[in-house]
Amino acid sequence: MGIGSKVRRLALLAGMAACAFGLSAAQAAEKHKIFLSMSYIGNDWQAEAANMVKAMAAHKSLADKVDLQVQVAGPNAQRQIQQINAMVQSGAEAIVVYPISPTALNQVVKNACDKGVKVFAYDAEITEPCAYNVHIDQLEAGRVTAEWLVKKLNGKGNIIAITGVPGTSVDDQRTKAAKEVFAKYPDIKIVGEAVGMWSQAVARTELSKILATRNWDDINGLWMQVGCFTANSMQLEAGKKTSELLPCAGEGSNGGRIQMLPEGTEVEGAAPPYAPAGAQRISYASPPYSGALALKLAVEAIEGKDVPKTTILPLPVVTNETIKLCDEGTWAEMKAGCNAFKPSLVSNPGWFASIFSDQTPEVGLNAALVGQPEN
Amino acid sequence: MSSAAASSPVPGGFGLRRALVRNRGALIAAAVLAILLFVVDWISAGPLTYFDVSFLSSGGATSALAAIGQTIVILSGGFDLSAGAVISLVNAVLASSMDPMAPGASILLWTTVGIGVGMAVGAFNGFFIAVLRMQPIVVTLSTMFILQGVTLLVMDKPGGFVSPDLGAFYLGDAIAGWLPMPLVVIGVVLLAWFWLKGTRFGTALYALGSDPESAASVGINVVLVRFAVYVIAGGCYGLAGVFISAQTGSGDPLVGNPLLLSMFAAVVVGGTRLGGGQGGPVGSVFGAYILMIVVNILLVLNVSAYYATIAEGTILVLAALAGSISHASVLAVQLRAARARLAAWRAGILPSQLERVDRRLKIAEPAHAQRSPASPRPAFHLRNAETLRYALPAYVCLLLIVLVTQIWLGRAILNPGYWNSLLVLSSFLAVLALGQGTVILTGGLDLSVPWTIGISGIILAGMVNGSDAALVYALPVVLVMACAIGFANGFGIVYLGISPIVMTLATNGILQGCALLYSQGTPAGFSSPMLRWVMTAKLAGLLTPIVLLMVVFVVAAVLLLGRTPFGRRVYGIGNGLRAARLSGIGVERTLILVYMLSAVCAAVVGVMLTGFSGQASLGMGDDYLLPSIAVVVVGGALITGGRGHYLGMLGGVLLLTALQMLLAGTTLPYATRAILYGLVVLGAVMALRERRLQ
Repeated sequence: MGIGSKVRRLALLAGMAACAFGLSAAQAAEKHKIFLSMSYIGNDWQAEAANMVKAMAAHKSLADKVDLQVQVAGPNAQRQIQQINAMVQSGAEAIVVYPISPTALNQVVKNACDKGVKVFAYDAEITEPCAYNVHIDQLEAGRVTAEWLVKKLNGKGNIIAITGVPGTSVDDQRTKAAKEVFAKYPDIKIVGEAVGMWSQAVARTELSKILATRNWDDINGLWMQVGCFTANSMQLEAGKKTSELLPCAGEGSNGGRIQMLPEGTEVEGAAPPYAPAGAQRISYASPPYSGALALKLAVEAIEGKDVPKTTILPLPVVTNETIKLCDEGTWAEMKAGCNAFKPSLVSNPGWFASIFSDQTPEVGLNAALVGQPEN
Repeated sequence: MSSAAASSPVPGGFGLRRALVRNRGALIAAAVLAILLFVVDWISAGPLTYFDVSFLSSGGATSALAAIGQTIVILSGGFDLSAGAVISLVNAVLASSMDPMAPGASILLWTTVGIGVGMAVGAFNGFFIAVLRMQPIVVTLSTMFILQGVTLLVMDKPGGFVSPDLGAFYLGDAIAGWLPMPLVVIGVVLLAWFWLKGTRFGTALYALGSDPESAASVGINVVLVRFAVYVIAGGCYGLAGVFISAQTGSGDPLVGNPLLLSMFAAVVVGGTRLGGGQGGPVGSVFGAYILMIVVNILLVLNVSAYYATIAEGTILVLAALAGSISHASVLAVQLRAARARLAAWRAGILPSQLERVDRRLKIAEPAHAQRSPASPRPAFHLRNAETLRYALPAYVCLLLIVLVTQIWLGRAILNPGYWNSLLVLSSFLAVLALGQGTVILTGGLDLSVPWTIGISGIILAGMVNGSDAALVYALPVVLVMACAIGFANGFGIVYLGISPIVMTLATNGILQGCALLYSQGTPAGFSSPMLRWVMTAKLAGLLTPIVLLMVVFVVAAVLLLGRTPFGRRVYGIGNGLRAARLSGIGVERTLILVYMLSAVCAAVVGVMLTGFSGQASLGMGDDYLLPSIAVVVVGGALITGGRGHYLGMLGGVLLLTALQMLLAGTTLPYATRAILYGLVVLGAVMALRERRLQ
C-alpha cells in the first residue's frame, strides 16, 4: 500500500486547508494531522488529560511532527460519532479519542480504520478490534483497593461504598471486582452504598445523606471511587481527631495525597482540610497521562512502528508507606519517587495527582496544570 | 404544506402566501440549514460529496426522529422529558435480546419491537397525563427516572450486540449514490405525519394545543387525543432508539440521556412554539440538523475546545434570531414601540409626562367602606383553599417518607441530626426553587442554572482562596455577575423574542465556556473558613448555621411572592401576558427582574455549594437542573405559569430530599432506587391532578 502516496495526498489536502488559513503550505505539509476528540470537559480529570495531550503535542520531540486539533463532543455519544466521521473526512491520520461509550463508537471507528486512520482510545475502552486502547485494568483497581481495605480492617467491619457513574464499564468493573473481594469475607458488611458520579461534591452530598441515619462510629472503613478527601474532611468537621480517621480506599486526588502525609509535615500552602493528616489511605486513579501517551503512540504508529493494540498501564497505587511530597513536580523528580504536590503549586485539592509515567518523560506537573511540556 | 394552499378558496397567490406564513418557522429553519451547509462547503477543504451528505444525514437522524415525536407532544401543549430515556431503553432491549450467534436479523421484527417499546412507554405516560390529568412535565420526569432504572436492569453496562443487518439497512443507500436511507426513514415518518395532520385527529391536536378548554367544548375527546399523542411520540422515540442501535451496532444504557436538552432546542429552532398549537415536525427535523451541523463547523474552523460551548451557544442564539426576523417578530415590535415612545416623549404625551390627576369615574364607593362587619373575613382554610390543595400533598408525602425512614432505618424522627441533615441538604434546592419557581410562575424556564452555579462557585473560590476578608468583596462581585447573567437572559427573551428554553440553554453553554477559560480546566482556590462554618458547623452540636439563614430566606421568599407588587406582577404575567400588559404591568421590566432573581439564586447556591464542599468544581451545578424544575412542580406549581406558592415548592424540596436520604440509607441497587424514586414522585403528584374539564 502506497503510504507515501497517501501522505502526499493528505499533505496536499492539508496544504489547501493551510492556504485557506494563511499558513505556509510547506510548514504544514510535513506534519501529521491528528485529532483529539474529547468527551465532556466540565470536570477536572478531562481538563487535566487535555492539558497533558496538548503539552505532549507541543513538546520539542513532536512539535514539528504533529498538527493537533482538539474537539469536544460533550457527553453525547451521537455527537462523537459524527465528530469522528467529520475528522476522517477532513483528512485525519490518527484520532485520539476519549470514548464516551465503549460500544457506540464501534461502527464509526471501524469505518475510520478502513480508511487507514489510526484510532487511539485513552482511559476508557473501545471494543472494536481495530482500535488501539490505552488504559488501566479497572478490575485490578477494584480488587487491589478492596483487598487493601480488608487487610486494614483485619477482615471485619462495616463499610460504606461510594461508586462512580452507573451504567459505565469502568464503574461496573471496579465495583464488581471490589464486591467479589468483600464477598469472601463474611464479616465485612457494606452498610451503605451510594452513587458518587466520580465527583467530590456528589460524594459529600451522598455521604451526608447516609450519615443522617447513621453515625461515624458505626462505620469502620470506606471504599470509594472518588471522595476520600471529602470523607476525611467530614470526619474532621464531625470532631474526630486525625488519628481516628477511618481507612479509606479511593481516588488519586492531590488533596487526598496531602492528607496522607504524616501529621505535622511542613507543606507550603497547606490549610486544613487540605493539609497533612496522616490519613490511612490507598490512593489510585485512572491516570490522566493516558491521553498524552496515546498521542505519542499514535505518532509512532503513523511512522510505521509496531504498536500493540492494547496498552495496559500500570495501576498507580500510593499508600502511606510510599507517599512522598514533590518539590517542583518535574518528571525527573517524579521518577525518583515523589507523588504528591504542594498546595501552593496545585491549589485545587480535587486535582488528580497520578501524572507520572515511565513512558512519558515529555510531560510533568506543568503539563498537567497549564499544558506546558518539560524541556 | 401544499394542502393548505390547495384547500384555500381564495386566489392562488393569497393561498401561497398563507402557506408561507403558516410554515414560516419551518421555512426559515430550512433556509438557515441551507446557509450553514453552504458555509461548511465553502470553508472546508473539499466540496461536499455524496458521502458527506450521507454521513450528515445519518448523524442527525436520531435527534431528528426523536424531535418529531417531541414536536407532536409540544404541539398538543405537553412536554416530554422521558424521550432520551426511551431511546436508551430501546437500545438496551435490542442489544441484549439479539443473538450474536445468529447475525442475521429481521429488520421489520426489531423495528416493530423498538417502536412497540416506545409506544408502551408512551401509553404509560399518556395514561397518567390524559386519563388522570396530571402535569406532563412531572409525569415524564418520573418516567425518565423509572426508565433509567429499568434500562440498567436490562443492561448494567455497555455491551450487547445489534445485528449488522440493521445497520446496513438504516445507514445504507435508498438509491445508491443519490439518496441515503436515513433521509428516507425521516421522509416516511413525515409523510405519515402529513396524513395524520389532515385527519380529524390532526385538527384536534392543534386545537388542543391552542386552547384545551375550547377544544373540549366543541366536542373533541381531549383524553383520547392526549393519550394518542404520547403513544405516537413514544413510537417516534422508539424508532430513534432503533436507529441509534443500528448506527452503533451495540448497546449502551446511557446513550440516549444526553439527547434530551438538544431535542427541545431543535424543536424551538424549528419554529414550534412551546405551549402548543403552532409549528410542526418538519421544522424540528431542520432544527435537529442545524444543531448537528454545528459540530462540523467547529471542526473546520478549528475552534479551541474551551471555546466550543461558547460558539455553540452563539450559533443557537443566531439561529433562533434568524428564525424570528419578520415584521411581527418581538424584536421588530419592540423597535416600533421604542420609536413610538420616543415620538410620544417628543410630543410630551407620555403618561409619565402628563399631569397626575385622578381621573377615575366615581361610580363605586371607596373599597374600604364596603367591608362591613356583616361579611366577616372567611376562615384561613377557605381563603387559601387553592394554595392548600396544591401545596399540602407534598407535605403529606413528606410525612409518610419520614415515617418509612423511621421504620426502615430507625433514627429519624427523634434524631436531631436527621432533621439537620434534611434541612442542610434541602437548602440548595430551596434557594433554587425560588428562582426557578418565579421563572416558571411567569411561564418560562431557566436552563442556565447549572453553569450559573458552576461559574459563581469557581469565581468565588478563586477570589476568596481561603480568606474571610476576601469574602467581603468576592460575594458582591459574584452577585453582580449573576445579575448581569440574568439580565442577559431576560434581555434576550424580552427584547429579542428568543424562547426562554433556547436563550437560557445558550447562556448555559456560554457560561460553561467562560468557566473553563477562567479556570483553565482546573478551578483554583477554596472556600473561606467562615463560609465553611456556615455550611458545615454544628451549633450546640446539632444545628448548622445555614438552617437559621434558610428560615430567614423562606420568610423573605414568601413575602416577596405573596406580598409585594413584584410578586403580584409575576402572577399576573403567568396568568395572561396580554391581560397583564393591558392592565399596565411593565412586563418587560418584570420579566428581566425575574430572570435576574433566578440567576442570583443560582449564584447563591454556587456560593453555598462551595462552602459545603470546601472547593468549587467544574460541573458542580449539573445535578441541580432537573431537580430544580421537579421540586417546583411537585410543590403544586403549574408549569405553564400563574399558579403555585413558594411554601408548596419548599414542601417539594423537603419531600425529594427526604426521599433521597431514605434511598441512600438503604443498600438497594441503583437501578431499583431510580425506579422507586420515580414511582414515589409520581405517587406524590397524583394528588395534584387537574379537576375534570366540565
